[in-house]
Amino acid sequence: MSMMKQLFSACVVLLLAGASYADQTLTPMPGNIAAPDFELQDTSGKTHRLSDYRGKPVIINFWTTWCPPCREEIPSMNRAWHLLEQDGVVMLAINMGEDEDTIFMFSADYPADFPILMDLSGEVIGDYPVKGLPTTYVVAPDGTFAYRAIGGREWDDATLLDKVRALRE
Amino acid sequence: MKAMVLLLMLLPVGVLGDVKHSTNPENGLQGWHFSDGDIEIELVQRLPDQTRALFMQYEFSSEVVEELATSCMFQTIVRNSGASGSGQPVSVDLGEWRMQHAGNTGPIKLKEPWMASWSGEAVAPAARLVFRWGMFPTRQEFLPGDYNWGLTAYGIQPGSVFDLEVSWQEDGSPRTGNITGIVCTPDVDALQ
Repeated sequence: MSMMKQLFSACVVLLLAGASYADQTLTPMPGNIAAPDFELQDTSGKTHRLSDYRGKPVIINFWTTWCPPCREEIPSMNRAWHLLEQDGVVMLAINMGEDEDTIFMFSADYPADFPILMDLSGEVIGDYPVKGLPTTYVVAPDGTFAYRAIGGREWDDATLLDKVRALRE
Repeated sequence: MKAMVLLLMLLPVGVLGDVKHSTNPENGLQGWHFSDGDIEIELVQRLPDQTRALFMQYEFSSEVVEELATSCMFQTIVRNSGASGSGQPVSVDLGEWRMQHAGNTGPIKLKEPWMASWSGEAVAPAARLVFRWGMFPTRQEFLPGDYNWGLTAYGIQPGSVFDLEVSWQEDGSPRTGNITGIVCTPDVDALQ
């Protein structure tokens, strides 16, 4: 590993200390606004369309490997995924602008068992009202926005999980 | 974890709001944490080499990487703490922030005009995406519990000292506060 990359990795870890806010809130998104459909491949080559998951709550997380709070919330997202998968909840993490190799290397330190989709051109994130990373949306089974979370969360917190489960039809 | 323990010196250096200054004992980087009402604003120093390391991974020209690295970047976190219990949003427009340096008052650097100044040869499309999403949003609204992080830039040389007037809207009312004596991290050469 080059000196620059070692420095970068060390700095990312140190910066996590400054981004440890973790109020476990989800902001309701009223108005029955339809979440934009998308078609993206995950890191194993499978194609995912949001419309494929109509009838289930879908958690859509926008992230990058170089975003400290994005990294911080991945372990709790993975724990949440294992709790929610059996309940018919879908979790999709959309990486913005990074290739499969970068995500693969990152996954060695931050394992994620849920699908990681690649938005290489940034087109999908541009269709969503995202201002910063991470931003997460919870889409209701009818395809409309139900909640959003700006900034990281502890996703295996019971308060959050209960709100997502309550969306099931 | 020892690395996570910040040595809070609790120096009140702001005029309005509460400002806490801290120094990370592990790396010596300084931070300024401002709070007033429901808003919290935190600025953490970045070494120019940290910024070089981030952007050198992408297709920026060496001139642009150097321009970014020496533009006095701070890791910036804004949060609606919800401390008042009002449940009201706070909104921030970086275009309204004002910095005072060397007797002059002016705006901080915003990402939109910065990006517009680069040619296609200097910054590849993928690198533009990294810059766009790595910098703090120019305008953003935060509900209680929301926070965002990103880089803010002040466009002055490493090692410079400046004061910053931060402004925001809380429940629709304009608010301002001051953070004084903010230090841009010196470059590595200056530390040797």
